[in-house]
Amino acid sequence: MANSDWPTLLCDNSRTGGQSPQRWRAPQKSVWQTSVDGWVRSAPVLRDGLLYVTSQSGYLTALDARTGKVRWRFKAAAPIHATPSLSSGQVLFPSDDGKLYAIDSGSGARTWEMSTGAESWASPVVSKGTIFFGDANGRMHAVSSANGTVEWKRDLGGKIYSTGNVAEERVFVGCGDGNIYSMDEKSGEILWKTPTGNGIDSSPAVADGTLFVGSLDFFFYAIDLTNGAVRWKHEAELGISSSPAVSGDTVIFACKAGVVRALNTQNGKLIWAQGLEQAITAPPVISGSTVWIQSGMTHALNLADGSILWRARLGYSLQSAPVVTESAVYLTSMEGDVYALG
Amino acid sequence: MIDRRQFVKRTCLGGLALYLDHWATSPAYSQDLIPPAPPIHVNEPLGALRSPLGMPGLFPGRVIETADPQAIISNRVSQPVIRRMLDRAMRELTGAQEVREAWRKFIEPKDIVGIKINPSGAPACCSSPEIIREIVAGVQSVGVPLQNIHVYDRYAFEIDIGSYQTLVPLGVRVIGVAERKLDRSGYDPNIYCEANFFGEWETRSYMASIVASGLTKIINVPTMKDHSAAGVTGCLKNLGYGTFNNVDRSHRRPFSFTDPLIGVMCSVEPLRSKAVLHIMDGMRMLWHGGPLSQNSKFISHAGILMVGTDPVAMDTIELEKIETKRRNEGVPSVWSRDPKSLTENGAEFYEDATKNLFYRQPHHIAAAAKLGLGTCELRQIDHRVLS
Repeated sequence: MANSDWPTLLCDNSRTGGQSPQRWRAPQKSVWQTSVDGWVRSAPVLRDGLLYVTSQSGYLTALDARTGKVRWRFKAAAPIHATPSLSSGQVLFPSDDGKLYAIDSGSGARTWEMSTGAESWASPVVSKGTIFFGDANGRMHAVSSANGTVEWKRDLGGKIYSTGNVAEERVFVGCGDGNIYSMDEKSGEILWKTPTGNGIDSSPAVADGTLFVGSLDFFFYAIDLTNGAVRWKHEAELGISSSPAVSGDTVIFACKAGVVRALNTQNGKLIWAQGLEQAITAPPVISGSTVWIQSGMTHALNLADGSILWRARLGYSLQSAPVVTESAVYLTSMEGDVYALG
Repeated sequence: MIDRRQFVKRTCLGGLALYLDHWATSPAYSQDLIPPAPPIHVNEPLGALRSPLGMPGLFPGRVIETADPQAIISNRVSQPVIRRMLDRAMRELTGAQEVREAWRKFIEPKDIVGIKINPSGAPACCSSPEIIREIVAGVQSVGVPLQNIHVYDRYAFEIDIGSYQTLVPLGVRVIGVAERKLDRSGYDPNIYCEANFFGEWETRSYMASIVASGLTKIINVPTMKDHSAAGVTGCLKNLGYGTFNNVDRSHRRPFSFTDPLIGVMCSVEPLRSKAVLHIMDGMRMLWHGGPLSQNSKFISHAGILMVGTDPVAMDTIELEKIETKRRNEGVPSVWSRDPKSLTENGAEFYEDATKNLFYRQPHHIAAAAKLGLGTCELRQIDHRVLS
């Protein structure tokens, strides 16, 4: 993967929220600004100089990352809430029409599509040629990235709006029934499930044998990857929809009360907390010593102490996370604006 | 396909005629500064038969109130406690021995049921998912398939902040009618309220298509909140302003024509006939800063649930509760017309309960009563508080 690539939600399959090697510097100017057709609930992804954005009007739009010009557009039959994933020359995303689409990343032509029968907002996760994603009917799917054939599917106890995480030959996902599930990557067999006090729409991160996830029960959990035991949990002011980011011994998460927290991954001790303007449901992204997060506006926080380094009234968004590269920061807003800041 | 429905236009008098009648009963009034509202033209289906279940419904003037200190602890709502509260309130409202029998008074197995939530104050103060889940269970108990139960509101992004998609049972659809204020794609072009309040360029507010033609019954789940323009937002405001688009044009600082627009909207068919039950969520009572405030110092964990079919009676009781709380907190009445309480500064309004952005219009409740939507006279309300 090139330094500037950002092929899936939160950069890569570690789902640790970026961890990109790029060093932060304050954006000085807007390199370009454009709009896509429809509102945007998802985060952009980037590869080989193309930025891909999905929108509520059903469009997947490929933009030239250098100029913001539209290279091509593909129209699905229904709104797209999911952040797309890039894998093997394909752009993968589910739509509200109950289909998973595979689109040629260079041309915008449809490679294949498969039907699940239910809307899905979760971003697809690709591992070893298999795509994993959940849907609103509570079903977890594993399909071949080559042609969309079903490898396995598993019904869980609630709706799945959490994006899965694949690690150590297992798939982990949060569910509307309040459980975190661990499934065998090959068969979909449920290996363990750990209950929380309310539904989960946050997407888990995995680091050093521990799974980190927030729940709508107001608690943030650190769970043993091998057996699902809760190692520690930390209480927030309100429910947690935002997905966490991990850097070294620090895990960052945000709750709906608008508070961002840094905790020690080993024991859950609070390192710092920073209150921002509005409810936060978007995930943080860590880049070097900086935490990026969207809360009413876009903020850059100091990873060490949470102090605000920079903020701009751009990119008001609910679920979107910025793409941070050496040369630019790419943002989307709920209204469909796309920014490249340099 | 040709739409064979026919539509008729009627005109409602503006606020002045409704206002003069109850002006004298409002002790906080010394003078009124509010200009009269313009006429509101309503275009609605011709000859629509009004359902006997429609507002004020099967039990006009009856309000069942139940409260439990265990219902909300550490800002978390207890679903088992909610279940007990709702079951008991439904039986008290209907006189039914069994809770399923109570739900049957309103819902049939063939119904397509919409649960109208209020997510506008999310995440701090919005319709509790725990209450929604219990309502779903009640509707399901009479034989309605989960696929025919929809949870809906106006703006999809507000629903997202409340995580309702994740928290409702499998099979239940969650629908945001629109993404933005003037998005008309989810609205019926033939059913609307038309008025020019402040010279705005779009003078129509259209009814959501899901209400006009998608649902057969609506269960309304407002929250218990102050409203800077309407006085309170309860059953009427949640239903009227949550069903029609382009509604915030009815207020421009410091004036508000929520009186009479809220009531007029609730009187439009088929909304009036389809709204058969109102379940007010008073787990968190926002007594200042509504409808959007996230300021916890104005949110009281009241743990109240109110049930009824008469939205006017329920809002009248709600108004009393908000007024009592404000009085106890030493801040002005929602009836206040003191110009010194006004501010242009939104940040000040959200921090200072003595300030407001508009002259509030709690009269909208009495105006709705004039339209036959229910009872606003306290002494005529059968207010039963379950101990």
